[in-house]
Amino acid sequence: MDQEFMAQVETKVATPSETLERGAAAMQLKNVAVSFHGRTAVRDCTFDVTKNRVTSLIGPSGSGKTTLLRALNRLHDLTPGAKVSGQILLEGTDIYRGDITVTELRTRVGMVFQRPNPFPTMSIYENAVSGLRFNGVKKKSILDEAAETSLKSAALWDSVQGRLKVAASNLSGGEQQRLCIARALAMDPEVLLMDEPTSALDPIATLKIEDLMTELKKRVTVVIVTHNMQQAARISDDCAFLLMGEDRAGELIEFDTTEKIFNNPIDPRTLDYTLGRFG
Amino acid sequence: MSIVIPPPPDFSSHEEEVPEFNPGASSRTWYQYLLILAALVFAAVSVGFVGTIIWNSAPEWAHHTGTLLGGNGWQSPAGPFGGLAMIVGTLETSVIALVIAVVIGLGASISIVFLIPRRFRNIVATFVELLAAVPSVVYGLWGFLVLAPWMLKTVIPWLDSWPFAKELFGSVGQQDGQSLLLASVVLGVMILPTFVAISREVIAVVPNDLIEASLSLGATRWQVIREVVLPTAKIGLFGATFLALARATGETVAVALIAGGVANVQFHLLYPGTSIAAWIATEFGEAQGNEVAALMALGVLLMLVNFGLSLISRWLVSRQRKVLAVV
Repeated sequence: MDQEFMAQVETKVATPSETLERGAAAMQLKNVAVSFHGRTAVRDCTFDVTKNRVTSLIGPSGSGKTTLLRALNRLHDLTPGAKVSGQILLEGTDIYRGDITVTELRTRVGMVFQRPNPFPTMSIYENAVSGLRFNGVKKKSILDEAAETSLKSAALWDSVQGRLKVAASNLSGGEQQRLCIARALAMDPEVLLMDEPTSALDPIATLKIEDLMTELKKRVTVVIVTHNMQQAARISDDCAFLLMGEDRAGELIEFDTTEKIFNNPIDPRTLDYTLGRFG
Repeated sequence: MSIVIPPPPDFSSHEEEVPEFNPGASSRTWYQYLLILAALVFAAVSVGFVGTIIWNSAPEWAHHTGTLLGGNGWQSPAGPFGGLAMIVGTLETSVIALVIAVVIGLGASISIVFLIPRRFRNIVATFVELLAAVPSVVYGLWGFLVLAPWMLKTVIPWLDSWPFAKELFGSVGQQDGQSLLLASVVLGVMILPTFVAISREVIAVVPNDLIEASLSLGATRWQVIREVVLPTAKIGLFGATFLALARATGETVAVALIAGGVANVQFHLLYPGTSIAAWIATEFGEAQGNEVAALMALGVLLMLVNFGLSLISRWLVSRQRKVLAVV
């Protein structure tokens, strides 16, 4: 990228408010761009994911929120023709080029998906400890403890305690999603990525997950993609607003505290979006 | 201004003739009769087919069930007609073929879905399906003309070098190499594409969601396959296995060409043998009287076995759909 272009980027992206006392960054994104077969899907993403805060990625469909999120635990590695450029740092280590294996990265950066996807052939218990088993933990006492702790953290323990051996498919949609959260938490990750985790759930199950997130951020940093602006406003501390550019590639328009993004954004397009004028 | 109240609607006058719904004969046209006729003919043919086979085999079932299922040796033309050699031969060849097909086929399916670059995947999958459609006589010929000489020259000397090889496999019984082992190997090669075609599909429909979820938990590619994909696809893979087994047990021409056609219970695989289907095919021409009934009875047996295997296979595939539906 040439200097002139970079200068344009600098002026285009609104800078976060300086007044906020920021904690340490769990992840740092520097000029991150993702392309598929040479076609850019999202670019110009530079912001910090601050520890123990919920960072939401908002924007209309096609703005590259999910694509960006999936770059954070290298899920694009599987997609032929996918290329991630720029830098993504986890505690200062470049996750694509640094001294970290992809499996280690994924144990430190967990993911919860749009549709609840517990493993259908495994019981509730086996689902909860599946990540530990993938990583070679065999000792029953460790697994039992991890299952209990993670199910408790996902506010699921009380309702499943007596039926841990039951197939996970017997749970309701909301419970299945909380099981998926528990499954990710059992790895004790530093960062938890959530890709529209409540879009397949009913309002009550959604509220439960939202409550859970506010609780979770005490011990894990959360990055959440959401379509639902009220949800972003309710649960997130920081907010990144993305928009599809003229060449149909998503780009970061503004990153700031959620309060600033929703009440006093710098870019007029952010205001238009949060007020529901488009999207 | 006066308020005009509209008169209440008069329902009593509403007595139009509503044509009764009558799906009876009067409303049918000639082509509907033709379609019904076709269906009736089909039903009659099916019932007639199964019925006549059972009817013709009835004398044998009535008097010699024990010989047919448990007797060794086929004394043409007067009998007794022992079917044990064919039953054992069918079991031996099918099971060995199945082991060959499942072991190789599972590996092949996994690599088609996960290892081969996307561009070539469809080409390979189509090629496999084409192989499954090759007429079995071609496999039989290949077994006889290509595989048999190679086995005589290379495989059997190597087998003979094993301790207890003679006791286990016997020694070559027929000069051109026809044997139960040859039949098993050719059957295995033959049902391999059938198994791969289905198991590849079963594996490919395991939701990507689950694969990504396991990767996100730090699973390696091999763990994803072994601990998530295969267990999720398990029931469907059993379905593929039973369908391949059904094809192996029913295979006729190839086995008739290469098994050797000897009706003797044989556990040494290098000796010639036969299977139910192959025996029916080779003996039918000269059969008379009771022998026809005996062959028909073998046919009924084969038919029942194949019905059973197909039913199990369908049941498994439908259960697999249910597993995937809850994902």
